[in-house]
Amino acid sequence: MIIVPATTGQMGVLPGHVPTIAELKPGVMTVHEGTDVSKYFVSSGFAFIHANSVADVIAVEAVPVDHLDSNLVQKGLAEFTQKLGSASTDLEKAEAQIGVDVYSAMNSALTG
Amino acid sequence: MASTAAVPFWRSAGMTYISYSNICANIVRNCLKEPHKSDAIAREKVHFTVTKWSEGKPEKPSKIPTLNHQSSVSIRLDLAGVSCAGVGLS
Repeated sequence: MIIVPATTGQMGVLPGHVPTIAELKPGVMTVHEGTDVSKYFVSSGFAFIHANSVADVIAVEAVPVDHLDSNLVQKGLAEFTQKLGSASTDLEKAEAQIGVDVYSAMNSALTG
Repeated sequence: MASTAAVPFWRSAGMTYISYSNICANIVRNCLKEPHKSDAIAREKVHFTVTKWSEGKPEKPSKIPTLNHQSSVSIRLDLAGVSCAGVGLS
């Protein structure tokens, strides 16, 4: 079973799942193989669940959560929260918001 | 009948999905521990070679300097008579 971070919330996928295309938000994908659990942080992307119970998860970056450096994450979160406060144009606000979303998600992944 | 689906904040700010996704990926890459971080950054380096064509013949190819996604440089090429080869180093 896998649990993917869809934009609509955490989505669990088991064999027999209805064919679905889900857009993913930055977050943790948990893979359960028997009793083994592995967690990967996915930068964004899509999950395609096919009718034959095959699921593809496509992401530009998908890294094991223990490859993330928590100091860099904390620094980045502080930096982008500050940028969000001082952003003026729509584009700056959007970029700052993206930064805050991704760093917060990485932070939760490391502390959760 | 207009669709009422909510538009994500980045799209209403004029950003495309590809830009959004690449920004997210860059942020994640920059938060990796070594050696994974250097590997990831090296993996994503791209350079482009541009060849202008005139009268059915290619002219001398020219390289656009190495980009990494962190410098969000946008390149506008006059695509009439130009062919591009993009190489990703892996």
